[in-house]
Amino acid sequence: MVSLEVKNLSKTYNKKTVLNNISFIVNDGEFLSILGPSGCGKTTLLKILIGIETCDSGKIIKDGVEINKLDPSKRNMGIVFQNYALFPNMTVLNNVMYALNIKLKNKKQAKEKSLEILKMLNMEEHINKHPRELSGGQMQRVAIARTLALNPDIILFDEALSALDADNKLILKKELKEIQKKFNTTMIFITHDQEEAFSLSDRVMIMKDGNIEQIDTPHKIFNNPASDYVKSFVKDHLIEKVRSIEKCTGIDL
Amino acid sequence: MARRSKLNIFIFIFLLISVVFPLINMVLQIDFSNNSFQNLIISGAFKEAMFNSLFVTIIGTVISVLLAFFVSFTLNRTNIKHRAVLKLLITLPMLIPSISHGLGLINLFGANGIISRIFDFNIIGSVGIIIGSVIYSFPIAFLMIDDGYNYIDNNLYDTAEILGLNKWQTFRKVTLCYLRKPLLSSFFAVFTMIFTDYGVPLAVGGKFITLPVLLYKEVIGLLNYSKGTMIGLFLLIPALISFLFDTFFKDYTISDGNSKKYVVKANKLRDIITNIGVYLIIIFITILLGSFIYYAFVNNVVLNNTFSLIHFNYVINNGIDSYIFNSLFISVLVAIFGTIISYFTAYVTARVNNKFVKILHLLTICTLAVPGIVLGLSYTISFNGTFIYNTFIILILVNIIHFIATPYLMAYNALQKVNPNYEVVAKTCNISLFKIIKDVIIPCTKKTIREMLSYFFVNSMITISAVTFLFNTRTMPLSLLINNYEGNMMLGEAAIISLIILIFNVIVKGVIYLINRREHRMECMYGTN
Repeated sequence: MVSLEVKNLSKTYNKKTVLNNISFIVNDGEFLSILGPSGCGKTTLLKILIGIETCDSGKIIKDGVEINKLDPSKRNMGIVFQNYALFPNMTVLNNVMYALNIKLKNKKQAKEKSLEILKMLNMEEHINKHPRELSGGQMQRVAIARTLALNPDIILFDEALSALDADNKLILKKELKEIQKKFNTTMIFITHDQEEAFSLSDRVMIMKDGNIEQIDTPHKIFNNPASDYVKSFVKDHLIEKVRSIEKCTGIDL
Repeated sequence: MARRSKLNIFIFIFLLISVVFPLINMVLQIDFSNNSFQNLIISGAFKEAMFNSLFVTIIGTVISVLLAFFVSFTLNRTNIKHRAVLKLLITLPMLIPSISHGLGLINLFGANGIISRIFDFNIIGSVGIIIGSVIYSFPIAFLMIDDGYNYIDNNLYDTAEILGLNKWQTFRKVTLCYLRKPLLSSFFAVFTMIFTDYGVPLAVGGKFITLPVLLYKEVIGLLNYSKGTMIGLFLLIPALISFLFDTFFKDYTISDGNSKKYVVKANKLRDIITNIGVYLIIIFITILLGSFIYYAFVNNVVLNNTFSLIHFNYVINNGIDSYIFNSLFISVLVAIFGTIISYFTAYVTARVNNKFVKILHLLTICTLAVPGIVLGLSYTISFNGTFIYNTFIILILVNIIHFIATPYLMAYNALQKVNPNYEVVAKTCNISLFKIIKDVIIPCTKKTIREMLSYFFVNSMITISAVTFLFNTRTMPLSLLINNYEGNMMLGEAAIISLIILIFNVIVKGVIYLINRREHRMECMYGTN
């Protein structure tokens, strides 16, 4: 269980400020969603956190240690992508085992652990299949299993549910919460989907133009929006909810 | 990151030494004093060669592209059986050197040709060059236009029908609109090929001298490198225009591939006319290639046309094995090293986004604009006296550079389609870049790699232009023997060499085809990528 602190982080691309001196803390075992429209800086923030992009200024502190200059492999963070990034030439089992094998240097142990995690994610009957034989939800489970197998302190999700259909999204959202409880892993979930962010997270961080508009629990964001922007965000979300209830029940609210 | 930077620098230095330096050095060698450039341009020989080149190139290009368009239309838009086999037969001429096309024409229509003896005519001169150039270039134009058909949005044909467009309007607004870029690209590519080729004119040109033949004669016959270089600059012009067109011409037609199959409508008259046309072309190609077998195994075509191994024995007794070894040695190494270099260059340019890799990209594809004969000349001028001169190394290097652009673009396109997040996954999982390339990225692009290997091999087997100034008796490749035998009117022996090259290339193409087919079947069976 590890906490993460981001202090005064800034990033500029071609004179355009993408991240503007932002600071926040992610607590141990917390599920934090970073929510915002395209271009708000959330993907840049993810890249900086994982270590594939550098920041212009600021600090990233994990468990009391500054990790700004650490190589991505030394940060012990995992990442799950929207497009899964599974290796198409490997079976489900080999996808999970591949990195673990390098880490443990013991094929037997790597296989046992991979099988254990795949079983937890209800993927045991698919271990010999290749990614193209799986549904979107199954592929995302494999991607999560591959990340979990390495015991990361923090898992980052980059729009990880966006490519799934409504049914699969619902199932995987439930499973993600269960996984988080089971492994007690800190999770940072990047999304532009309000429904995903509000239903999954312990806290939600709303971003706009490289700034943090508000970071709080979904309940507090609904009741006390910190700015007009957040207010309109919440309003849109509520209207969406009401419409969906109206559609399901046939009652005009 | 550091490894990628080292790779960038290594590739950059390699391209500087093998592309930029020889070409700049060649231009610097030109003697501009005493109005030599003006003297060349106003000289009768140059004017005549330039006129001849433009004459055969313009006519040859128009015929070649029209023929390619006709064949691709027939194979894609009419009812014709055995499309795959026909496509294979049409592209067979690509597997032999251009000089062999000229040789085939001499066999059929030369002074004592199989057909010209019956009808009493011969085609030595401009007509021969035009026909030879068309046979040599039209399969390439065909492949370019044929590929263009894959990107036509077939739903537009339904839309055109609903809108009430007639056949001609539909053809103009849909088919031609999508084929505009491939047609123009093939026009420029064929123009460049014919304008810079010296194999066909050398074989069937007779006294009809074209620019590349003039360059060849100046350099080989008179050792006048300065004049040869000046002529070489003129050969660069169409290739440069072609390169600039392909680089900057924007095609605004959009297609995400076709989910809908094109349905060929019944039209018997159209089918009969087009099928006859295509079969006639294939019969002509088959007769041309068949003439090699006839010439190779007949005692004397004019005096004694009985079966004989006399030519076969002659080439064996004259050390054919060492020439075969040279060609295979060069082609295999060009295939291996060419594929490695172009693949890793493409890896860097396709998967890293910075200004430096754009320079690498441009440097690699600009080799498309350098004709083989000019590249060979620049190597002769620049590397003469170095340790690589007169060795296999220079032949391998010149072939790699001569052919690098196309396999590079194959790899570039394939690598751009590979999931861009693999390297990020590797970084977070502590998997080295080398390991992820070896275990994931190469397996994902293995079909492209096989095509790259085959492209390098086949083209190294057939090229004469790039190596013509660089070989010696010890390193001489097989393709150059055709020139020697043909020059001594030993057509049977020249035919045998053409056949040997054809057989090796067919074997390589066949093996690649079988591996791809086997893999495709495995994928269908097990659902792997």
